[in-house]
Amino acid sequence: MKFFDCNSSYGILDVPPVQYAATPADLLAEMDFCAVDEALVTCAAQRCDSPLVGNELVLEQTRAQPRLHPAWVLLPPQTEEQAPTVDQFLADMGRAGVKALWAFPARNKYLLNATTLGPVFEELIEHSIPLFFPLEEAVPNMGGHPTYHLGWQMVDTLLSQFPRLTFVVANPMVWGQDRYFRPLIERYPHLYLDIGAYEQGRGLEDFCRKYGAERLLFGTHYPEIPMGGPVLNVLHADISEADREMIGAGNLTRLLQEVKL
Amino acid sequence: MTNRSRLWQEYLANGKAEGCPVISAHAHYGPYMGIYFPERGEANSMLKMMDRAGIVRAVCAPHAGLIEPDRGHALMAEVIEKYPGRFSGYWCINPNYPEKLAASLQRFSEARGFVGFKFLADYHLQPITGPGYAPALAYANEHRLPVLMHTWGYSRFDGPALWSELAEKYPRATLIMGHSGYGEWDLALAVAKKYDNVYLELCAAYHANGIIERMVKEVGSQKVLYGEDLPWFDPEYSIGCVLCAHIGEDDRHNILHRNAERIFGFAG
Repeated sequence: MKFFDCNSSYGILDVPPVQYAATPADLLAEMDFCAVDEALVTCAAQRCDSPLVGNELVLEQTRAQPRLHPAWVLLPPQTEEQAPTVDQFLADMGRAGVKALWAFPARNKYLLNATTLGPVFEELIEHSIPLFFPLEEAVPNMGGHPTYHLGWQMVDTLLSQFPRLTFVVANPMVWGQDRYFRPLIERYPHLYLDIGAYEQGRGLEDFCRKYGAERLLFGTHYPEIPMGGPVLNVLHADISEADREMIGAGNLTRLLQEVKL
Repeated sequence: MTNRSRLWQEYLANGKAEGCPVISAHAHYGPYMGIYFPERGEANSMLKMMDRAGIVRAVCAPHAGLIEPDRGHALMAEVIEKYPGRFSGYWCINPNYPEKLAASLQRFSEARGFVGFKFLADYHLQPITGPGYAPALAYANEHRLPVLMHTWGYSRFDGPALWSELAEKYPRATLIMGHSGYGEWDLALAVAKKYDNVYLELCAAYHANGIIERMVKEVGSQKVLYGEDLPWFDPEYSIGCVLCAHIGEDDRHNILHRNAERIFGFAG
């Protein structure tokens, strides 16, 4: 059984979790400890320092690690910080071997919508590039009660305008989110879910029975969450072996293979 | 793979482990407003998950009981009776109906299969140190009973800052900090270390990478109980978090079953 983690990170964070991987080598050691084979990774600098710095660092630091696949963080094109044109940015991605993007609109202070990123979304669709979006970026914590509906509303609005965008909602699943995301799964065929925190009792079984396994990606949300939980959760869900393999690695592998750069 | 834990290896292979009869010290039962349960959170669904993950017994606060204790306790009693040895109950206290509490405690003393009390102060909006919970705490203290309390970091109703007062006032009660005061780790661990009658419980806390290691190092694995809010969450997930924590095999056994066997009297 192969596990290809769609959502893990290493490096020094502004507010570190209790335990973390400071370097790619540390991350690989934890992956080995928890039976995770490969990972699509970002480094902390991409989130906490600057995407301009972090996107370069993640390439440099993972170059010698074939099990780690770097992803980049996207900024709006209007400020021309990443490249003078969208075409140039995509060409840079291609040269660097980067096949996935993350959006952190709250951290990076922009609107994840058509006004800001419409032309970029059209290019991502054209090149089949998946965009990862951590739900907490749209979820203000109101006195200890996260307002998840705001995040799912943002996803709904965005995908209603760009239904062919390959869009992965990351970190979304604590405390029962099915009533939010199931209508969106039914409406948007290119919506995927990172199930790193989806520990819903009998949830994988029920989802696969109703929708199939194609839309679920194994993730760990490491270093915030320990890897062992998501591993056992997928490994022993009462689903078919074919579904398990799709969730464990097959779906992410397919998405990355479909990227045209 | 470098995790040489025999338990981890067995769980990888089989989803459970011989010689590790897991006990969930923090479970519920039945449907609930804020979550979709594919199988309504009923006992047969819980048993599927328990059997698959090697959980021999779950100590449950029925969801209905957290709102309307009498109705919830009746439902829970049926489940306890129907599946002998697989479920135990927490007697739920709703402090917003103080006029009913004395009779409720009397019924608890006569009920079978209920092993302690459950408080949900963040939802009932009364502090665990207030008069609403005092009669139940006094009863637990007198009878040396466990009390599982929902806790969350920095909560004015049940946060770790309130726990020293409780621990000192009710030294013979076993006070279980549900969710381990999630997020206010320093204080939660300090209180659990200082007071013999305060225990940490892992539900949701296991999400915080590295916290299990800190608990074991700073407080000791004999003060940490396993729980996962069953039927909310699949126990394979939470057990995986325990088994991949960088702690010793004895610590894993303490957390997953030995401590609960001792506290609830399930041993043997």
